[in-house]
Amino acid sequence: MNPLRAIGSSVLGVSETVGGITLQMLRIFRAMIPPRFDRDETWLNLYKVGVKSYPIVIMTAIFTGAIMVIQSGGYVKQTGATGLLGWGAGYAVLAEIGPVLIGLMFSGRVGANNTAELGTMKVTEQIDALRALAIDPIHHLVVPRFVSMVLMLLLLTALGDLFALVGGALTSQFILEVDYRVFFQGVFESHLLDEYIIGLIKGTSFGASISVVSCYYGLSVSGGAAGVGRAVNNCVVTSAIGIFVWDYLITYLANNTQLLQ
Amino acid sequence: MSAAPENAKQFGEVVLRITGLVKWFGEVCVFDGLDFEMRAGEVVGLIGPGGVGKSVFVKLCCGLMEPDAGRIELLGYDLAAIPEQAKQKLRERVGLVFQNYALFDFMTVGDNVAFPMRQRGGFSDEEVVTKVQERLSEVDLPKVRHLMPGELSGGMKKRVGLARANINDPELIFFDDPTAGLDPVTSSKIFNLIRKTQAQRNSTCLVISHDIDRMRAACDRYVLLYQSRTHFAGTAEDALASKDEIVHEFFQRDKDVQHH
Repeated sequence: MNPLRAIGSSVLGVSETVGGITLQMLRIFRAMIPPRFDRDETWLNLYKVGVKSYPIVIMTAIFTGAIMVIQSGGYVKQTGATGLLGWGAGYAVLAEIGPVLIGLMFSGRVGANNTAELGTMKVTEQIDALRALAIDPIHHLVVPRFVSMVLMLLLLTALGDLFALVGGALTSQFILEVDYRVFFQGVFESHLLDEYIIGLIKGTSFGASISVVSCYYGLSVSGGAAGVGRAVNNCVVTSAIGIFVWDYLITYLANNTQLLQ
Repeated sequence: MSAAPENAKQFGEVVLRITGLVKWFGEVCVFDGLDFEMRAGEVVGLIGPGGVGKSVFVKLCCGLMEPDAGRIELLGYDLAAIPEQAKQKLRERVGLVFQNYALFDFMTVGDNVAFPMRQRGGFSDEEVVTKVQERLSEVDLPKVRHLMPGELSGGMKKRVGLARANINDPELIFFDDPTAGLDPVTSSKIFNLIRKTQAQRNSTCLVISHDIDRMRAACDRYVLLYQSRTHFAGTAEDALASKDEIVHEFFQRDKDVQHH
């Protein structure tokens, strides 16, 4: 293929995706004014998205906290600055690693599942059936998923932060032999509330990004089972990119505009 | 027998009028200036070779797809001139039975049939359950309410689709190949059912099928789509008397096959 044509084709593809995702986001916001939710569908999604995700989030968080402590363990042992252990692990986990890793796990589990579900409904004409029955798929399917993912990723990030600190404290106690009270003292004395809030803002933004991206790919599936597979793959990749873009923007804003100071 | 909706069209009034319909999919022209008309109380059979665009035609009529040119007037409304919300309201007066069933696989059969009614609102749970049971009994499936769609045979799924399409007493119902992949006995039952429900509710029906001989149990007249246009419109007798080679091939061959 002509290299210029290949570049042009890629640019068009990316523009189409970005445009499609933006339109999808606008459709969701428009459908939420005035706020009208399908109650049953929202409850069902809150359960599927939140309750069923917490074991995997807790596992991820515990190991994230533990890894942060192990990484800084060598330095702490060399210098004897055990008070820094809580600060280091807490700062990294609450502001950065916690929300990002939980977001990535969430996109792999919930986002991919959502795309597969909507995509299958699309190829089996269930979405057309909804429209034929005078039901707007955005109202009935997309808005409940958006609300559930935003709310649940916020709560899961808050829960994950807690378990990451527990993981860090346990590692500190049993691997580095630094008393867990010293670890928690380091966390609390470092005044990490701002980092905690920034982490929660990131979690909420990741939830919105994953829901919009997964619904976009799910509803634009074509080409049967192979199309569903492609859509799930694209959803996971785009959601991960979305997470890093949002992470960068929020970190930049928080550090350069004194957002929370 | 259920009462027809208040806004039902009078018998004989035009319920669907299509003029100059044009639809392209990339480089492929599906419709090139197609004209079509259907009146209240009629049962029209839509036939044509595979891939001529019969399912696309139904989706265009319901406003699920946009034409590239031409005018579609559904129940007196020009689909291009009304906003999506008004189209949605209009679809409450229309039923559609899909070729591939399109039942919601995460709901029970009862919930599938009840779904349009629940979404419309204004009914108590008792009323919904009673009407669902009534509709399922009409299609000879009185005991499947608690089953999942995956537990049903193809013919049963078609009949559930028919019950769902009928639950809100639509004025106009589209049947997209309701007998595809079914055995002759079940096919005949489906066509008889279409005729029966149409007679009970005085609705208007458009039936897509390749099974011309069995369609005669249900249809008043036929429209043949061929090469992106309406090639023939008339009764079975008109078709059999026609000297047109294409019409003859469709109707007479089917008849010959039946005789053999």
